[in-house]
Amino acid sequence: MPLFRFGQNWDPFGDLEREVDRLLRSVDLTFHGIRMGRQYPAVNLYELEDEYVLTAELPGTKIEDLELTFAGGILTLKGCRDDSEDVPEHRFRRSERFRGAWQRALSLPERIREEDLTATFTDGVLRVRLPKGAQTPARQIAVTEGNDDPSRSEAPDHVG
Amino acid sequence: MSDELIRRPQETSTNGIEVPAVPTPRLVFTPPIDIYETDDGLVLLADLPGVSLDSLELQVQDNKLTLLGRVKSPVPADAQLRYQEYQVGDFLRSFILSDEVDHDRVSATLNSGVLKVWLPKAKKAPARRIQITPESS
Repeated sequence: MPLFRFGQNWDPFGDLEREVDRLLRSVDLTFHGIRMGRQYPAVNLYELEDEYVLTAELPGTKIEDLELTFAGGILTLKGCRDDSEDVPEHRFRRSERFRGAWQRALSLPERIREEDLTATFTDGVLRVRLPKGAQTPARQIAVTEGNDDPSRSEAPDHVG
Repeated sequence: MSDELIRRPQETSTNGIEVPAVPTPRLVFTPPIDIYETDDGLVLLADLPGVSLDSLELQVQDNKLTLLGRVKSPVPADAQLRYQEYQVGDFLRSFILSDEVDHDRVSATLNSGVLKVWLPKAKKAPARRIQITPESS
């Protein structure tokens, strides 16, 4: 159980508690998948009948600090979070939350109606809705019997 | 040929298709926090993405501060997960408050998934002199 106190209390078990806290915390964070070499923010992609939904956890990010761009099938999310920037470092008793600037580029599924992408940001969760485009019907490709001799080809389409 | 026809329904049942879906247990995560000191006390920040005001419970009991945030799925139930980097679950974490925190004046705000809790310092009781008396035999 995490424990914190003011000042320099006489506390013979403090070191042990801190060690245990630190150990448990690293286990928790590993389990949650934040940091530990993972990209920020973590994203999920869901598929619905007529759209895909991309979600990302971005607690404490201001909407004006969020930037979404889409080009060439790549969705780029960009932003920063620094909601305690005026607090000097030595004031921190614990610092587990992500701070700073981040950027992620994600390639999206095919057949997305790019012009209809919408995004909402609620309670620190970003939701990008990616409507599916019309499915092109399967096209039959005719196969004709080949001729082993290229010089007798009936379609002499010379390129160049 | 006939063997196959007989075997097929058995195969589907052992594949779990006919077994009723077991509801998945709710996941509970420990949210990452920051704690920093101010002149008047401590400030605690906790990342609780997906938690709204009406799904957050924050309580102080005895000397224990507990936060529980319930998270609803960001997508409808019929959505198929195609790619996953994080799991959706509730947030739970508790803290032991020292006597130096004024338990009655703890206050909190929730803003775009970040809980901010103010833990003001209690006013220090004046030092009390302890009379020492010789042990009587």
